[in-house]
Amino acid sequence: MKEKLMKLSTPWKLAILAGILGFIALLIGNPSNKNVIDVNAKEMALATVKNQDRIDAMILADWLIKENADYTLVDLRTEKEFSEYSIPNSVNIPIESLLTSDLMRNQKILLYGNDDVASAQAWFILKSSNYKAVYILKGGMNAWKNEILFPKLDAAATAEQTAAFEKVKQVSLHFGGTPQIVSGGTATTVAAQTITAPTMPKLTAPAGKIGGAKKKKEGC
Amino acid sequence: MMPYFKFDYFSVDFSLVIAFVIGIAFGFVLERGGFGNARILAAQFYFSNMRVLKVMFTAIITAAIGLFYFTWIGWLDLSLVYTTDTFLIPQIVGGVFLGIGFIVGGYCPGTSFVSASTGRIDGMVYILGIFFGIFVFGETLPLFENFFNSTPMGRVTLYDYTGLSHGLVLFLVVLMALGAFAAAEWGEKIMAKKNGRSAE
Repeated sequence: MKEKLMKLSTPWKLAILAGILGFIALLIGNPSNKNVIDVNAKEMALATVKNQDRIDAMILADWLIKENADYTLVDLRTEKEFSEYSIPNSVNIPIESLLTSDLMRNQKILLYGNDDVASAQAWFILKSSNYKAVYILKGGMNAWKNEILFPKLDAAATAEQTAAFEKVKQVSLHFGGTPQIVSGGTATTVAAQTITAPTMPKLTAPAGKIGGAKKKKEGC
Repeated sequence: MMPYFKFDYFSVDFSLVIAFVIGIAFGFVLERGGFGNARILAAQFYFSNMRVLKVMFTAIITAAIGLFYFTWIGWLDLSLVYTTDTFLIPQIVGGVFLGIGFIVGGYCPGTSFVSASTGRIDGMVYILGIFFGIFVFGETLPLFENFFNSTPMGRVTLYDYTGLSHGLVLFLVVLMALGAFAAAEWGEKIMAKKNGRSAE
């Protein structure tokens, strides 16, 4: 047997090796299961959501206004909530289908739910599946509503606060929001057009499509 | 974990250095394999010298087996390895054009650089042709842009498309390659006999 093997020419040996490896591959089937996450308990303890992984609603609003497009904004809420209102340019991916979605591991991903709970869970799922750049929107949709869509200014605010509010007001109007001045529990809108009760802005931008943006070209 | 670049083991700048080293090595191996010679390359299409087929299939199964086992061991995240998007019909048409150019010019784009670097004039002319072709393509693209972007299938692999397991597809490709090697050896013998007789 050994002699016979020794006599074989190199191409034959390599061909046999390839055949054997191919056959073993047939028995292995699939080399990796995307839906199984290996979690190292120690890493898990260290890899909690850090402060720099949180993005303020105001910063996101700034990115959207500047049409910064180097990230994917992911809405983790239900389809129904998403269709009622979503932050412009977001895509709806329920948390259970995150790993089967088209999100790329080298993409910058910004997650939001109604609050921080769902996005923190999703953050962990993605991080432990080797997604590199995952961020969460601080406070989620609630913060977006409070800070961007319906910002409130106390009627008894100082001049400094009023000046800061002016900027917020512009941002809010950009997204179709309704800035308000609150005095003693009753709110008055300060938008150009007076609206009695704050309403959710209409969805102007079409809901984004995953992979809609041209991927960076690589390869030969 | 591989791929190293996607996991930020090194910067874009350093990746260029690595690309340079790998490129030089690749060109050297091609040249040593005889791929700087248009006669050897074109002979593939007349079935008198099957070296191109053997080298290509060797490269394919070596890479495929490597990627499979690296993923299985856990060294490599296959989903991060770049796969060109598939546009079925345009790519078939493009492949036919490349094949015609291959027979006429005697090179594929990569081997023409190998050939030119060893001082062959036909290789240098071929490179000029490549740049001219790129220019014409770029200028006329708007005329056939719809076709260029037709039948998009996105990132698709054989095992995704057929629903077979990755290992089974690898096994079939290896079988196909081994079969092709055997057929190539046999074909070369027949052609040698035939050519030998016709020379007599």
